[in-house]
Amino acid sequence: MAAEVEVSSPQLIAADEGYAVSADFQFELSSRLEEAVMRGVVLTFLIDFELVNKRWYWLDEKLLSRQMSLRLYYHALTRQYRVASGGGLHQSFPTLNEALRVVSRLRSWQVIEKASDFPQIKSGEGYRGALRFKLDVTLLPKPFQISAVGSRDWHLASDWKTWNVNLPAPESK
Amino acid sequence: MRRLLVIGGSLAGAFGAIVWFLLLISTSADTAIFERHYPVLIGMNILIALALLGLVGWQLRLLWLEHRAQIFGSRLKLRLMAMFGLMAVFPGALVYGVSVQFVTRSIESWFDVRVEKALEAGLDLGRTSLDSLLADLSTKGKNMALELSSVPENGRRTALIRLREQNSVQTASLFSAGGQLLASANADLSDLMPRLPSPAQLKQARSARQLSWVDSDGKKMILRVLVPVSGFGVFEEPRILQLTQLVPEALGANAEAVQAVYRDYQELQLARTGLTRIYALTLTLTLLVALFGAFALAFIMARRLSAPLSILAEGTRAVAQGDFSPRQAVYSRDELGILTQSFNRMTAQLEEARLETERHRAEVESARAYLESILANLSAGVLVFDRQFFLRTVNEGALNILGDNFEGLIGEEIQKWPRQSVLGQFIAEHFAMLEDTEWQGQLELDCPNGMPQILLLRGSRLPETSGGGDVVVFDDMTRIVAAQRSAAWGEVARRLAHEIKNPLTPIQLSAERLQHKLADKLTNSDADMLKRGTQTIINQVRAMKHMVDDFRDYARLPAPELAPLDINALIHEVLGLYETSEAEIETTLAGDLPPIIGDATQLRQVIHNLLRNSEDAMEGRENPRIEISTEQRGRMVRLLMVDNGPGFPPELLARVFEPYITTKAKGTGLGLPIVKKIIDEHHGTITINNAQPGGAEIDIRLPLHKEE
Repeated sequence: MAAEVEVSSPQLIAADEGYAVSADFQFELSSRLEEAVMRGVVLTFLIDFELVNKRWYWLDEKLLSRQMSLRLYYHALTRQYRVASGGGLHQSFPTLNEALRVVSRLRSWQVIEKASDFPQIKSGEGYRGALRFKLDVTLLPKPFQISAVGSRDWHLASDWKTWNVNLPAPESK
Repeated sequence: MRRLLVIGGSLAGAFGAIVWFLLLISTSADTAIFERHYPVLIGMNILIALALLGLVGWQLRLLWLEHRAQIFGSRLKLRLMAMFGLMAVFPGALVYGVSVQFVTRSIESWFDVRVEKALEAGLDLGRTSLDSLLADLSTKGKNMALELSSVPENGRRTALIRLREQNSVQTASLFSAGGQLLASANADLSDLMPRLPSPAQLKQARSARQLSWVDSDGKKMILRVLVPVSGFGVFEEPRILQLTQLVPEALGANAEAVQAVYRDYQELQLARTGLTRIYALTLTLTLLVALFGAFALAFIMARRLSAPLSILAEGTRAVAQGDFSPRQAVYSRDELGILTQSFNRMTAQLEEARLETERHRAEVESARAYLESILANLSAGVLVFDRQFFLRTVNEGALNILGDNFEGLIGEEIQKWPRQSVLGQFIAEHFAMLEDTEWQGQLELDCPNGMPQILLLRGSRLPETSGGGDVVVFDDMTRIVAAQRSAAWGEVARRLAHEIKNPLTPIQLSAERLQHKLADKLTNSDADMLKRGTQTIINQVRAMKHMVDDFRDYARLPAPELAPLDINALIHEVLGLYETSEAEIETTLAGDLPPIIGDATQLRQVIHNLLRNSEDAMEGRENPRIEISTEQRGRMVRLLMVDNGPGFPPELLARVFEPYITTKAKGTGLGLPIVKKIIDEHHGTITINNAQPGGAEIDIRLPLHKEE
């Protein structure tokens, strides 16, 4: 199945003693999904990041696995679209496109708070990063789950996008 | 294997029931776990339904195979299963149809235009309230901006605080065009830092002369208004005033509640088809699981019900083939259990009865065999007739005595016997004349070329209780009669010898003395007559003496001294004396004849007597000829002597072994009786017949020497 979401220009950069991930996701909501959002259905997007140490002699070593969820919904009372992240922060937007633009632009996601907490991740080493974006169907209300099974309208996910990371040295205070 | 499958099936069924129950719960209840795993549950249910379908298919296939193989009870099983299955299908289908209708209708009935309108109106109400609040706040903002514009830069801070108080606004803050906070006034002293507008919002506020919107901090709604404040002087930069006001809590909560319900309603409406599908799917799965489960159960029940019948059928077949071994009993307290138990009891009784009959038959058989062996080993002849005088049984003794195999006589009426008609006639007559239960009679049977047989017959009527009929027992008396005669003759001969011999000597002496005294005193002719007379007396007396001696010899024949003997050598020895005989003697002697047991002297006399008899008989005939042959016959040696003489006169044939029976002019008639006596004492047999076309045939059998 071809991916509905394209992941482009992913990068891992050093930030605030740790590392942050940035990327762009190109996707369009299907009309069905758009209607669902209009009617107040909460869409939950999951962004997964993995850092893998490639080993030729053995299975790859998974160094890090992070997940972020973003919730997009329509607030009918104020006629606003809201994007909320897991931490409880939320932003309001008057149009859906603005809200989607925020969702599709991943900026400075702090995947490693402090590099010193992960001694196995060494700067200067070559690793492989993997990023995936998808709509979490399991969090949809039940009736949509049934419709979502085998339906392309409800399917929104990218393949794992991998890129080679040459880990820069973390910024020090 | 079958048991395992049944157990596996029931386990799967139980598991299916649980999963299905969970599915039902999750459809109706709102539990997070079920909600998360809803598709998995659906999938598992489908799998279970498929597994059950497979089970039912397998069961049906089994049944079909059994039906095809015409196994007894398979048809009943099929019918039972079909009945149980139908009993499940009809109510199930009914409930299913009603439920689906009901669910679809009730889901449809949730959605009502009026409800939707009401919800929208409620939402609009909330919006309008918020809008009016916002409008109020922005009016205040405009007024405040107007007043602030007339206040110089350095006095704006106090003016702001005053204006906030006057207008009873929660916060009022002043920003530069770049978004820098210049002054702020807050009703709540704990929250000094106002919310910062974004550059885009600032820009928008400047260009639109006013910007107002509802913001939220996650829990509460906040009204925000941005108004540009024109500079006091010409060269002063314009500022932007921000007013924020918390929406009253009650209004906010109510509006949020209305919007939440509105959202739910919208969601439901969007999910209407999905919801119907969920319920339909759940119900369908329920129906399928229940139906297939019912079918599987029906199979097991049908099998259980028909199991006793199969056992019975198998048992019946086994009994028909004679196998009375007990069948597996079905221990149930219903009629089927009783049926199989009674069947087992019945087979046990049958078995018992069969054994009893068998035993009885064996007893009868052995008794009969015992009787038959007695009959067979009886030397007397036994003939058994039924009531109509049809011959039923003949024993071995009868066959031996009569020298007949009785073929064609058994099962034949006595009057119509083709052979042995004399015997049959005799028996029939005696039974016809019978007044009592028994009769006895003696019968002389003529043999075509041998001695007549004397039979002593006893007939008796069998008791009616044993089926009636008659039995005749007879003995061959020929030998006994002959022995009696011979004994009688011996006695006569001894007495005669004794009585006659005594007066003979005085007679002879008297005649001799007569001649001696009177020979000289008589004239020629008288003397001649005397001489002739006395001579005759003397001669005759001598002859008489000789005869008497013969009689004595016969009576006083000594007991034989039995010893192993070569009969061929003996024959050769005797034949030496007959080399000058007129008759041509031809011998055919068996080469490797084992020795017999006998007395050489006596047997020599036997051969001698027989040869002389033959010679005498053939005197004056042309080409006289005697053939002698020996051969082994079982435990006996047969010595056969055949001549071509005149043979025996038929009327004498029966009594040739009696003394004083002779055809010769000067014979004592003791030759053959002596032969007979010697052979008898050697435990042999002798038979005399007339050969065809002419001549005598003498057959002697002598026992072989028994080697230890």
